[in-house]
Amino acid sequence: MQQREEKQLEASVESLVSRVAHVKSALHSFIYKLENEYERLTWPSVLDNFALLSGQLNTINKLLKNEKTPSFRNQVIIPLLLSPDRDEDLAKLTEQRVPVFSHEIVPDYLRTKPDPEVEEQEKQLSAEAARIGPDVAQKQIQTLNKLCSNLLEKLNNPRDDRDAESAAIRQNKPSFNPADTNALVGAVAFGKGLSKCRPPGQVAAGHPGQGPMISGGPTLQQVTIGGGSSQQAGIGGPVAPQQQGQPGKMPSSIKTNIKSASSSMHPYPR
Amino acid sequence: MEAPPVTVMPVTGGTINMMEYLLQGSVLDQALESLLHRLRGLCDNMEPETFTDHELVYLLKGQQGNPFILRARRSLSHPTSPWHLRYLGQPEVGDKSRHALVRNCVDVAASHSLPEFLNEMGFRMDHEFVANGHIFRKGAMKIVVSKLSRILVPGNTDNTERLSLSYLVELSVLAPAGQDTVSEDMRSFAEQLKPLVHLEKIDPSKQRH
Repeated sequence: MQQREEKQLEASVESLVSRVAHVKSALHSFIYKLENEYERLTWPSVLDNFALLSGQLNTINKLLKNEKTPSFRNQVIIPLLLSPDRDEDLAKLTEQRVPVFSHEIVPDYLRTKPDPEVEEQEKQLSAEAARIGPDVAQKQIQTLNKLCSNLLEKLNNPRDDRDAESAAIRQNKPSFNPADTNALVGAVAFGKGLSKCRPPGQVAAGHPGQGPMISGGPTLQQVTIGGGSSQQAGIGGPVAPQQQGQPGKMPSSIKTNIKSASSSMHPYPR
Repeated sequence: MEAPPVTVMPVTGGTINMMEYLLQGSVLDQALESLLHRLRGLCDNMEPETFTDHELVYLLKGQQGNPFILRARRSLSHPTSPWHLRYLGQPEVGDKSRHALVRNCVDVAASHSLPEFLNEMGFRMDHEFVANGHIFRKGAMKIVVSKLSRILVPGNTDNTERLSLSYLVELSVLAPAGQDTVSEDMRSFAEQLKPLVHLEKIDPSKQRH
């Protein structure tokens, strides 16, 4: 009987030690990441680390609550020998954190009762709980339960509550306009709305009118130059490309390294 | 890291065929702040970078159909930096399930005589615009939030007017040809930006008129 208990105790202590070691290594790597890889750290990975730690603490809790685990409260640790000398084995065992098994470390490491301040607070809380009486306490418990279940319901059923309320809100504040997307992509890809030489292309809804081509036409409110100079720009516009178009015909016969359509065109066959 | 894929053409120069994977979207002005906050949280932690660029698009018209397009870009906020010349090919018509627009991309730096050089070569400037905004990075992915402005007087970059009331958001990755995992990563990043921005593959040829 005794041996079985001893074996159980030993096994549970071993598993507890291994779980704590996992938590320790997780904390170690997290601290390392926070200190050294600060620039590359992203919020999702920080959340992952916290989630890992919380999961590990959960397993420790489960282990302690397990029926097979004997009650550790019944075990007592009594230090048999305290010495102010440095103990090498202990230092190695604890990775240099506890080099001396002396009178200073005993109150911290072998503590079984909570701190005096914590004990005070606990006493106050239990006195208060005893004071208010069982009925009031029961009512408070019920209110808390109701609040929690309401919140859980709201979080777990997005379709019923959230969509009805927030659909209205979302419609008022859309954050992007697909017509604008198309206009911008067109402008970047082939100069829709920018080109001076091409005739005005299809104007999307809400798209501002072509600038220089429309003489004296309406322009956006941010235009600082008047309608007169936009005419000037319009006239200056078509002229310039023509001038550039002229020399454009000649050098295209030059063999260039650019793989373009013009390399296959030779006005003077060689 | 796997070795870069063997290209089909014999590699004579020192370059690998780089492809640009692209997803685009836009965000209205009033939602810009929230988008920037979100990007600052999601992307690599660095000082927020703003940029002001002037891009000129040059065309070389051949006898047959499609003109050859080159894009020249210079920074207005760093006037002494070199110009940047880029060639973008036609989007690859691969399987429709690929989530990003893929096209061939060649980037080179050039000196400040680039516009004259291109004019002498026979290129003609088709259009130009000014883009300014913010740039974020996450690993190999580059996220650019920019406001496009039209240049009213050719060559004068101070006189500009905004093209629309939205900012253009582009998510791009430059990778050697053949790495399809890239588009998966891009899509999962784009998911994290919903519902502020819908980043999607917009085929430019479908936009044309």
